[in-house]
Amino acid sequence: MAKPKVAIFKFASCGGCQLQLLNIEDKLLDIIGAIDIVYFPMGKSENLEGPYDVGLVEGAITCAEEIERIKKVRASCRILVALGACACYGGIQSSRNWMPQRELEPKVYEHWEALSSTKCFGIDEYVPVDLHLHGCPVDREELLEVIKGLLMGTRAYLRPHSVCMECKLRENECLFLKGIPCMGPVARAGCGAVCPSNGAPCSACRGPANDANVESFVESLKEMGIPDEQIARMFRRDASTAKPFAKVVSMYG
Amino acid sequence: MAFVLPKSELRRVIDELSKDYRVFRPVAKGSEFVFDEEGEPAMDYDTTILPPKKAFLPPEETMFTFKRETFHVEEVTDEKPVAVVGIHPCDLRALHLLDKVFTGEFVDPYYMRRRQSGFVVAINCVKPCEHGFCTSFDAGPGAKEGYDLLLTDLGDKYLVEVGSDRGKSFVDRLGLDSASSADVEKAKELVEEAARSMARRIDTHGLVELLRMRIEHQHWAELEARCLSCGLCNVVCPTCYCYNVVDKLDLGLNEGARIRTWDSCLLLEFAEVALGGNFRRERSARIRQRILHKLLHFVDQYGEFGCVGCGRCVKYCIKKIDPVEIVEVLRGGA
Repeated sequence: MAKPKVAIFKFASCGGCQLQLLNIEDKLLDIIGAIDIVYFPMGKSENLEGPYDVGLVEGAITCAEEIERIKKVRASCRILVALGACACYGGIQSSRNWMPQRELEPKVYEHWEALSSTKCFGIDEYVPVDLHLHGCPVDREELLEVIKGLLMGTRAYLRPHSVCMECKLRENECLFLKGIPCMGPVARAGCGAVCPSNGAPCSACRGPANDANVESFVESLKEMGIPDEQIARMFRRDASTAKPFAKVVSMYG
Repeated sequence: MAFVLPKSELRRVIDELSKDYRVFRPVAKGSEFVFDEEGEPAMDYDTTILPPKKAFLPPEETMFTFKRETFHVEEVTDEKPVAVVGIHPCDLRALHLLDKVFTGEFVDPYYMRRRQSGFVVAINCVKPCEHGFCTSFDAGPGAKEGYDLLLTDLGDKYLVEVGSDRGKSFVDRLGLDSASSADVEKAKELVEEAARSMARRIDTHGLVELLRMRIEHQHWAELEARCLSCGLCNVVCPTCYCYNVVDKLDLGLNEGARIRTWDSCLLLEFAEVALGGNFRRERSARIRQRILHKLLHFVDQYGEFGCVGCGRCVKYCIKKIDPVEIVEVLRGGA
């Protein structure tokens, strides 16, 4: 069997997820025999044209030029993977979606008349995506599992439920019960509850868990005395393009 | 047969056990407690985040390793047996229930090996915990059986009762003094006093018959709106035993390991089958499954209630979903 050709693309993002790829280089070397990374502008200087077997896409779609480009990327890849919070839900820059462009653009740019910035979305707003790898940044272990799964033709097990499960398995003190608003109960797991394990509340960078009960959760936030605007901010941060979170933002924002 | 152990000598018990066992004991973690293999024992703990079943049924364990091309399989076994020091009577009874599941009709060799080679030092509860309702199921505050040694806090010392030959030879090794009949009597009174001060209770009288008639009760739908389906109640439960099995390959894609991890029936994907079919898509069906499994189906299958009233599920639940309250609502009271 010929080695699968892998391409790594960047859209609107910080580069942190690609950095995770570079961070697993030592481990990647073990499987590098099995794959051919032929397009990776951030990681190598020689880059080949498509078609590719697998495309890993980092970043959100934020302007007309990117809409055009992601469609071409899709057409050139047999399997397309959304890599990280930006590619999955638009990421932290999607928090701007809740303000009209006419107010937003002059805040940032002096000559905003020439901009063709659009609302910020994950890539599957525009193209079908075969696999979502969540996180800000993506988790290295999950990334490796996905790569191995692609090579084996199997579906990697990615935890779809809430962060609480992983958090409790690590026997962390519950931040929420201590009165700290933590998004864990409605946020998607797979990160190993890395933030609460280090004393920081979950910010739901992975978007909603598969059965997130946001109504009941918001009720608890209100009982805790969290003001409406803060509730809206919590749900707007990384994944407000996801329907369950969008609903909360439009109610409390 | 009873002995006394000065509290200052508890360390010696752990050190002595450590020669032969991996010794889990309750230790403080922030404002909570956890069973850990290291640290100073905090024997007056109220409850732990994960139950001590984790010593016998680890949250994640490798069952065997394999080589894909040659189909070579190698079973993974523990180097040292486990001992648990300071297990409360409710969690002790939970082990008895897990024994029914894992060493009954279908024997689970991984669990069975650990249980058979394990050593259990229980401790009676002389101070009821906030959320517990163990008296409902005769699971506390005093332990009746299933221990090698049983401690009761008498202030400056522990009363040590012996429950097995293994326990007796360990006591001989420690060279403990015999207890006086006054010590034995005092321990009994302390446990009886604790039982009297237990504020929470599930009335189990006729409960099985009642629950059979409450399968379609509207309360399940009310809980659907409240529950966050985070699965936390399963993770902290001493009698939950469902697990998931995954194969993990190494990077060369030839060698791998079969791993099992605790699973949770509150999760949406728990009852999912091929092509996305799901037997319990509704959250209400999942909550009902959890409650009825403990209080009805376990009785049908094993002849005993599958809950021990440790109170962890309500203590750690953000929405404070409480089996005691659920049963009261289903009974039509409160």
